Amino acid sequence: MKGKAFLAVLVIVLLFASTASAKVTLRFFYPVGVAGPLVKVINGMVAKFEKENPGVDVEPVYAGNYNQTMQKVQTALLGGNPPDIAVVEISELYSLLQMNALIPLDNYVEREGGKSFLANYFEGFLGNAYGRDRKIYGIPFQRSTPILYWNKDMFRAAGDKLKAAGLDPNRPPETWGELVEYAKILTIREGSQTKQYGLIIPGGWNDWIFEAFSRQNGSQLLKEDGLTVTFDSPENLEALKLWVKLMQELKVCPVLRPWNITPDDFIGGVTAMMYYSTGGMAKIRKTAKFEWGAAFQPKKKQYGTPVGGGDFHIFKGIPKENQDASWKFAKFMSRPDMAAHWSIESGYVAVNKKSYELPELIDFLKKFPQMTVARDQLKYAYPKMMAVNYQLIRNAMTTNLDAALEGKKTPEEALKDAHKLMVEAIKGS
Amino acid sequence: MREKLELYRAYLFLIPGLFFLFLFTYLPIIWASWLSFNRWNLLSPTPKFSGLENFIKLWHHDVFWLVMKNSFFFVTISIFPTMFLALVFAILIDERMKGRVYYIYSLFYPTLIPMAAAAMLWVYIYSPNLGILNILLSKLGLPKLGWLGSSETSLWALIIMTFWKNLGFFMLIYLAGLQNVSRELYEAAYIDGAGWWRRHVAITFPLVGPTSLFVLVVAIILTFRVFDQIHLMTEGGPGNSSNVIVYYIYENGFKFFDWGKASALTTILVMILLTLTLIIFGIFGRRITYTAD
Repeated sequence: MKGKAFLAVLVIVLLFASTASAKVTLRFFYPVGVAGPLVKVINGMVAKFEKENPGVDVEPVYAGNYNQTMQKVQTALLGGNPPDIAVVEISELYSLLQMNALIPLDNYVEREGGKSFLANYFEGFLGNAYGRDRKIYGIPFQRSTPILYWNKDMFRAAGDKLKAAGLDPNRPPETWGELVEYAKILTIREGSQTKQYGLIIPGGWNDWIFEAFSRQNGSQLLKEDGLTVTFDSPENLEALKLWVKLMQELKVCPVLRPWNITPDDFIGGVTAMMYYSTGGMAKIRKTAKFEWGAAFQPKKKQYGTPVGGGDFHIFKGIPKENQDASWKFAKFMSRPDMAAHWSIESGYVAVNKKSYELPELIDFLKKFPQMTVARDQLKYAYPKMMAVNYQLIRNAMTTNLDAALEGKKTPEEALKDAHKLMVEAIKGS
Repeated sequence: MREKLELYRAYLFLIPGLFFLFLFTYLPIIWASWLSFNRWNLLSPTPKFSGLENFIKLWHHDVFWLVMKNSFFFVTISIFPTMFLALVFAILIDERMKGRVYYIYSLFYPTLIPMAAAAMLWVYIYSPNLGILNILLSKLGLPKLGWLGSSETSLWALIIMTFWKNLGFFMLIYLAGLQNVSRELYEAAYIDGAGWWRRHVAITFPLVGPTSLFVLVVAIILTFRVFDQIHLMTEGGPGNSSNVIVYYIYENGFKFFDWGKASALTTILVMILLTLTLIIFGIFGRRITYTAD
């Protein structure tokens, strides 16, 4: 009797084991880097993939914000248990390569048609996909640029004052100089309280937005080689001084407003303008009760911005069939209809050019032309800085930017200190 | 002979416990202290002996000193108010004041909420424009504060939240401690004409000494190890203003991938806690009045 029961259990276990091995299960780590309920959207896309590919199960693991996701990936790697596929922030690529964690995707790309396959993706988004060996390691997914959001109602309400200052209330600022003028007029104070800010440049990812300002002034933070630090250039100093002026001297922009709260501030009418990722646009579209616009970030010498967001990476140390299935998944998630769906639901730019030929996206963009701004800004976009030890570098940048914006260090000191720490982090000393 | 056998048996029973203690506590401590003399980071991925390099680097790093300052500030500022209020509430509840059930629940429920949920709750409470705290402040005509978003207030915001979270736990320990104080002492004092305050100063405070010692040590260790709320609420920012030692260890290990430095910091933390515990037991351990059983 006992023997029979044991046998039955054994058979059941084996049965399950054999069905399990016939199916590939992918562990997929991903971050949500902006405000908004994007986890649901990802789960929906995963379900669709599983339906089309019955042989593959995808286990999506929401890993927190970008920092937390990278930390989870690193920890998993160190424990010898890497995910099959993951999205991390684009600047992390060199660190992952340093850890020998990723497989190059050139063979897969070749099989899909090589250059003609890559031509589907916006060129601006592929700049961060290559390692120093010029092999491709990433497939673009949730990709963005920072843009300037503006509250048209507030601009109109301040119309007379704007006109008196020679500014047009029907358009957003186009240069740094105008940005200051608009922000000054749009700030409303009551006694010691600020009722309405002219502008919010949020904290948290201010290093990213700072990179945009640096580009607009014709400089950069770190050269493309990932080794030459240019953080303390005079152009960057001018940018940081502008920020300090906005926050400390004119007080038209709150200091270090948390990244995830800033869209709520814009929606809640706390500010007339904000710099934010285009990835937060769906939330604003769905909840803002006023007319709003999106625009290129104002220029200094030129328009300019780094791209942002995260790419798919496929890991070493997992079975070949998992790598193949991961490739299928990455391809699926970035194909025209899925990229269009993702863009509509989130606000991120659809990474696939062909998405913009689909009627669903064309119709949608007619209703919400704001969504085209980030795509069009790609003309002026550069790859985001990349370096080994990026987390340490980013920490050096944000800590010192924060210190300058709070008035604890002069802009000169902050840039010099960050510069020194960045050089050390790159040298590894 | 028989006694010896008893002794052997006692040790035998201790073995499983000691085994796990060694495996999960002592071994990692030894391992980490060895690693702290090694260079092991993203750019040199295999541990290599480097002497005191990690400690010297920390010594010359401003952030390390800021983190130490924050840690000690956090511990000293939060412990004594927590202990004092925990004792006061424990006494009030023990004396069967009106509505004590309400007090027990409202003071103890924060302890029951998972830290992650509590942290998210407080993120909303501290939200600069929509948070209840700033709304209250502006209703009272006071200026709004940046709370988590400003380096002036971020550490305070975390201290307040931690105070709220831990108060009930320590109150419960004190409540248990109060049960050991004999009622007769209070009755005798009452008959002798001692007032409420005098009774507690002369009887309660000295007689909960052992409990206080326990609470002090536990509170120091707990507060030195704050991590969850910092990870969830500020990530040590802005500008490291709310970074404390355990979070700094985590950052070095899991964010910057510098295991050598993370190990060095861990060794420093172990040393600090060990020294503090020894000092506390050395000073107070002997002077405490234990109740006569």
